[in-house]
This record gives sequence, C-alpha cells and structure tokens, in this order.
Amino acid sequence: MKLATIGVGNAGSKLIDRMLEFEKQTGRNLCRHVLVINTARTDLAKPKYVPKDRRILIGDTHQKAKGHGVGGDGEVGAEVAKNDIDEIRRVFDDVEIHEVDAILVAAGLGGGTGSGAGPVVIDELQKMYDEPIYGLGVLPGEYEGGRPALNAARSLQSFVTKVDNFIAFDNDAWRSRGQTVEEGYEEMNRELATRIVTLLAAGEVDETEVGENAMDSSDIMRTLDTGGVSSIGYASSDLEKADGLLSKYKYKNKDDDLNSMDAAKIKGLVRRAVNSRLTIPCEVSSADRALIVFAGPSSMISRKGIESAREWLENEADTVEVLAGDDPREDSDTLAAVVLLSNVTDAPRIKEIQTQAVDAQNKIRELDAVREEEITSLITDDDNELDPIV
Amino acid sequence: MRLALLGVGNAGVRLVEQLHGAEGSDSPISGDNVLVINTTPSAFAETDHIADHQQLLIGDTHPDVQQPTADANTNSGSDEDVDSGSDEDTDSDTESPTREGVGGDPELGAAVARQELPEIRRALDVVDDTEVDAALVVAGLGGGTGCGVGSVLLEELTSIYEIPIYVLGVLPSEAESDKRAWTAARGIRTVVPMADAVFPIDNETWHDPGDDYTAVNEMVTERILSLFETREATTEPLPELCVDPNDIERTLAVGGVSTLAHVETELDVEPEGWITRLRKLLGMEASRQPAQSDATTIKSLVECAVESDFSLPCEISSTDRVLLILSGPPRELSRKGFEVGRSLLEDETGTVEILAGDNPDSAATAVSVTLLLSNVTDVPRIEALQRRAIAYQTKKALQSAIIETDHTVEDEIADDIHTARPFDEQLVATDAVDSGENTDSATESNETDQTDEHGFRFEDDNSATTDAWIENDETTTETPSANTADEPTDTATAEKTTNESSIAEETTNESASGDDEPNIKDPFAGETTEDEPRQQ
Repeated sequence: MKLATIGVGNAGSKLIDRMLEFEKQTGRNLCRHVLVINTARTDLAKPKYVPKDRRILIGDTHQKAKGHGVGGDGEVGAEVAKNDIDEIRRVFDDVEIHEVDAILVAAGLGGGTGSGAGPVVIDELQKMYDEPIYGLGVLPGEYEGGRPALNAARSLQSFVTKVDNFIAFDNDAWRSRGQTVEEGYEEMNRELATRIVTLLAAGEVDETEVGENAMDSSDIMRTLDTGGVSSIGYASSDLEKADGLLSKYKYKNKDDDLNSMDAAKIKGLVRRAVNSRLTIPCEVSSADRALIVFAGPSSMISRKGIESAREWLENEADTVEVLAGDDPREDSDTLAAVVLLSNVTDAPRIKEIQTQAVDAQNKIRELDAVREEEITSLITDDDNELDPIV
Repeated sequence: MRLALLGVGNAGVRLVEQLHGAEGSDSPISGDNVLVINTTPSAFAETDHIADHQQLLIGDTHPDVQQPTADANTNSGSDEDVDSGSDEDTDSDTESPTREGVGGDPELGAAVARQELPEIRRALDVVDDTEVDAALVVAGLGGGTGCGVGSVLLEELTSIYEIPIYVLGVLPSEAESDKRAWTAARGIRTVVPMADAVFPIDNETWHDPGDDYTAVNEMVTERILSLFETREATTEPLPELCVDPNDIERTLAVGGVSTLAHVETELDVEPEGWITRLRKLLGMEASRQPAQSDATTIKSLVECAVESDFSLPCEISSTDRVLLILSGPPRELSRKGFEVGRSLLEDETGTVEILAGDNPDSAATAVSVTLLLSNVTDVPRIEALQRRAIAYQTKKALQSAIIETDHTVEDEIADDIHTARPFDEQLVATDAVDSGENTDSATESNETDQTDEHGFRFEDDNSATTDAWIENDETTTETPSANTADEPTDTATAEKTTNESSIAEETTNESASGDDEPNIKDPFAGETTEDEPRQQ
C-alpha cells in the first residue's frame, strides 16, 4: 500500500517518525507523503525522520495557543485546528493524492492536540479526497488519569465516526516496569510502528516480485472497509539465530530443498501473534473481518502454512472473512506475521476509558459549578467586612 | 515559559532581584523584562541584577511619602514614616531601622500609584509583552507599597496586557503586626479577583523570625524557577511530555490562589576519570550508569511532595487543578513511577485536571518533583489572617466609637460607605492634607509599633480635607496611646490613648457602632471626599 501519513500532536508525530524509521531500517516504502501537525513548537523539534518543511505548527497566532500547545484541552485543540484549517489545506495541496491508496492520521487521544485537532483534520481530508482515511489512535492508560480518559472517550467518538477504520493502541497493554519515561514511549511507539508498517506495507512491492500468495493493497483495504475499531497482533521469528529452532529449520530446509517453514510453524507464528499483546486487547471472536500478512523471505513461507493459519484464524475469529497472504521481503532476516482484526466490538479497555471519562466529566462539572463561589469565600471573611484596596 | 518580573515594594524588589539573579545571566525566563517599583529608593541600592532603567521610584514628590533624605529627626512625620516603612518591608524587618515610603499605608500606596500612573506606564515600556507569555507581579501584601501600589499596578496590567498576570504575594507571619495582617487580608481580597492567579508565600511557614529572609527567598526562587523554567526547543534530551507554557497557563486559568511544592532527592555522583570523560567527548562511550531510582523512588518523591510544606499550606483536597513536573537525568525518570505518582495525585486531590510532564536534564545531580496546586480553596493561613484583620478592624472601630462624639457626622459617613472607590478624589484630598498630616505624623512618631494608627490616619487624610486634619490635631495627644498600642490586642489601651486625637485616625474601623463602620469602609473603599467636609 502507498500511504499519505499525517501525525497530529505529540504522540502522533512521534509515531509517524517511528514509522519512517522502521521503513528506512527495513527498506520499505510505505509513507509516500508525510506531514506532522502540532500546536507546540517544542514538540515539532522531536521528529528525526520527518523533513523540517513537513512539520506544521498551527495555532501560533491563536490567542490561547501561541505555539505553546493547548494545555491538554481537546476543545482548544479543535478550535485551533479549525482556525488554521486553511493552512492545513494548503499543505495538503502538495500531496499527489493519486499516488497514494489511503491516508493514515495518527494521534494520541489523551492529549489536547491529537484528540481535538485530529478529528478536524480528518473532516477536512474527507471533504477533499475520496481515498479511505484510516485513524491510528493511542489510548491513554488508566494511570494517566481522568482528564486524558475524557479527552480520549470524546475523541474516540469523533475518530470512529469520521474515519474509514480506526486502529487503536492501548498504552496500558504495553507498559512495562523498569522503563524510563523516555524509553517507555519510545518502545511503545516502535512496537506500534512495526505493526502498522508491516501490515500496511504489504502489496507495495513491484509487481514483478509478487508471488501468487502476495497480499494486495486492495485486500487490506477491503478488510478495513468494515469501519469500527481494529486491533493488530504481531509475532516474528529471527531466522538467523544459530541456536534457534527456526534456523535449524532453515538449514534443514535447504538440505531438503523444501524452501519453506513447515505449516505447523507458520500456524504457530500466527497463533502467537493473536495471543500475544494485541494493540488493543479484545475478544478475537468479536472481529468482523480478519487478515494475515506474512512478511519475510518468500522462500520461508509455505502456501500450506498460510492456508492452515488462515483456517485457524477463521475459526478463532468466528468469521469467514479472513484473508491471508505474504509480503515478500527477500533480504529480511526475520519472518513476521501480522494479524489485523477489523471491527472488533468487544474491547474492554474502551469501556473502561468511557467509565473513567464519565467520572472525570462529573468531577470537572462539580468543580466548575462551585469554583467562583469557593474563591470568593476564600478571599472574603465571613461577614465580608474587609474591603479591597482598589 | 517567558515571564516578565515586576517587583513592587521592598519585598518585591528583593525577590525580583533574587529571581532575576538566579535565572542566569542570559535571563532565560524573564528575557530581561524586569521592572521594580518602590516608594523609597533604599531597596534599589541593594540590587545587583536590576539595571537602573528597570527601577522606578514613585511618590518622591508626594507630600505624604517619606523619603530617606528627609530630615527625620526634625520632622515628627518622618519618624512615623520610618516605622511604617519597616512594616512594609517584609524582607528585612530586622535589618532596616529606617521606615520610609508610604508608611505601611496601602491607601496611600494606591493613591501614589494612581497619581503616578503615567510614570508607571512609561516605565512599563521596558517590558515587551510580545516577548513574554505572562507577567508576575511580586509584592509583600502586608506592606503599604506592595499592597497599595501592587494593586494599582495589577489593575493597570490587566487592562493593558492580554497576557496572563500572576501575583506572587508574601503574606505576613503571626509575628508581624496586626496592621500588616489586616493589609494582607485586604490585599488578598483585592488581587485575587484581578489577577489570573495568585501565589501567596506564607512567611509563617517559611520565615523564622530570628532569621533574615534568605530561606523564604530561596524557597520562592527555587519553586518559581522550576515551575516556569524555559526549555529551549533544541536542548537535548527532549522531554517526552513537555510542559508547555499553555499547560501552566491552563492549570492556573481557574484563578484563585495557587501553591507550590518542590522536593528532590540527590543522586550519588560517580567521579569520572579523565579517560572516561575523553571517551565520552569523543562519543565512544555512551555513559550508561545504572539508574539509582526506580518506580518506587519516583512515587515516594511525589508522595513526599504532597506531604511537604507548600509555599502556602493548604488542604490538598481543595485543589482545582494540578501540574506535576518531574526533572532529573533521563535514565532516572521511571515511567511507571511517573504514572503511579500522577495517579496518586488524582486520588489525593480528587481532581482529574492533572497535567504532568518530564524535564530531562542529563547534567542534573538530583531527581526532583515540582508540584503546582491551582485554586486551592481551603487555606487556614488566609482564614487566620482574616480573623486577625477583623479583630484589628473591629478594635479600631471600637476605639473610634468611644472617642466619637459627633454621631451625626458618622451617620453621614455611613451613607457613603458603599460608594465606590474614588481614589482620585482621595488623592486630591491627600494633597490638600499636607499640613495636618505632618502634625499627625509628628505626634505618632513615637508609636513605632502602631503602624495601624498610621495607616488609619492616612486613610483619614485621604478622605478628609486638610481642615478635618487640623481638627483632628488632637492626635498630638495620642502619642502616648500610640506607644501602648504596639500590639493592639488590648482595646482598652487603645481606647485610652485615642480618646481625643484618634477620632480622625481610627474612625476607619467598623465596629459595634454603626457610625464607625462607615468610616472604615470609606477609607479603604475610597470614600468620597464629601465625607470629610462633613466631618469637619
């Protein structure tokens, strides 16, 4: 697939940057157009792979933003993006849309810019283009607190209704102990970038190299066509590890001239992908459609293996709409399986976020209601006998 | 975040001097947008970091303002001024024997500021509001200049600038005079509604009466700088969750009073050999020391911050919004600790409006947590100040009531109680007052302790015409009373002393007698000049 990618806000920008990094490392060429949009000048300095002229600061003339972010307030984020929509549109003009198959908008839903400006950008894109627009959203962890949950719950509604498919990433599922703040976000973004790029980059390779099992962009788009929220699973095997089972297989295969990993191994990889951490934990059987991409040297991927894996997933996901194919990467030293579960409707984390958001909203309203009164009562004595100086 | 620093009064000048000095020579926070205003030049002499053009002396031509050069010995008025000056000086009560300026009278401070508004506006040209994200007015709220001039400056700033205006206001301790408590209670009442946020600094918590103000100043400097510290966009390592100026602004946007905590834990610094350093310089060795802190360390640090002394002690659960900044070497900043700490704050404060960010600094030798609680509404210290202020005001009113013979006058005054604050009129009045005032001051000169009376007199002056003052000249008799009244806890003493003279002075207090109440309010609220003629 060929993508135009747009990162909105701090998390979105970093995600796009990691995607570009992974692309570069693995010789893929998925992101044909890149753009990051932010309200904070400092955050725009972070990406390493996004060209300087593809970083857009919005709201620098906005009274509340002034290039210093939106203070975690989604409403301000949306307002700022609406005000600067002309500028955003002008930047899109450079995008040769006929060169791409789809547009991917990445954003963190817990912050102010991603949650607020993201949907505004998507609205505008929907008006301008017929190509499908996919959302890639990072959901805040429970520990991040009520405000991010409220931003996310509200923004999730906008995203899911506006995009053609929303790929969710749950911070909570990916947190691990012992990380520093920096490492934590870096690792999560890398994991997500790996999954997204491996999935969507399938079918971008020149026609000549494409085998008969090859996954096509249209297959991926068809699977995503369901709308709703999607989750991605991933597993990979290092082919060069001398002491690993697989490498033994590799040699054995060469000897036997079988040129492929046996079907059981392939199926095992897929099972691992589904049962390992999904980008958002969900009930696999609630998926509407599913798709498996095997990325690696085509010699390692047996047709039989693909088929048995497909059947297994068809069973697991309880849907007949399961596609499977390979993405030949002859130079790759790993074999990776990516599983896309499209339109999963049973994702407990989303419910949790919504509950947390409702609590947060109530607390915010309570505080709003008594704020003026409490300040007045603090600064005046009981009988209001003390007068102000001026 | 760029922050203009505007110091008012002795305490304000010294704190701004400290802040400006501590931020570093290239002024990353203020960008050299600094201005200090005082009614007496003495505090300016102690400044090293504030340039001459950033210092504004006002009131030097105002008849009621005592300048240090004035012949204090010959002029009775000068003595009084001296007393009040020390009151106003939060930073150096102990060290400064001279009392200059507006004599602890916020009304006079406000009057002087209004009169010199054109001068102040001109001086504000040194502050470029397009260069800064906000302005911070720094003042001692118990002082006449800090509170009076500060309030007028604040009013002016909010009307000319679109940027948020914050106030850093020092609150007097229990050891300081009742009058200062009264001034500060009214100062809080005045500045909180006008400012976008107020950071009261509690001297009771932070100032040991035996010491100078170093501890308070250092505490304030450390906290303000760590909150507003500006990050250059290019400084490595970049924060993952940057605290942008708008994060601070949003946290403070609810108004009210805010309070700051800052705790840190020192890290063991391993001495590096020159080879290691050289290798590092050459980029040959990524210095990857093992982290000394983990999730638990960070979490306890946040807990520690919650338990620590805030710049203004308060009930944590009355907080409206919270900002948490975690600083230190990047390898020490545990993500889990950061998140657990943040979640802990949500439980402790009961608010969900918590913004948190990291501020990695590879060169740091400590991990620190800076905590901003915005709009705390349960603040025992402010209530205590108000109680003291009311007691003081009531006592004054009582005294004046006893003294008062002319009830009709008081009644008339009462009518005017609720009139708005015509400071201009007051100014006119004060101008006229000169002669009478001097006499008053002379009489009171002995009463160094009783700043209260001074304050009242001034108020009276403002409201009253010269004639009134002349009538009041009885104040000369007051001198004894003034002496007794150092700590005006005893109403009896006050009553004695005040009998004749204090009528004019102490009419200000609203007490049992309805008549008195009007008087009090009038001076502060800015009664109309009309009252004075009536009195006369």
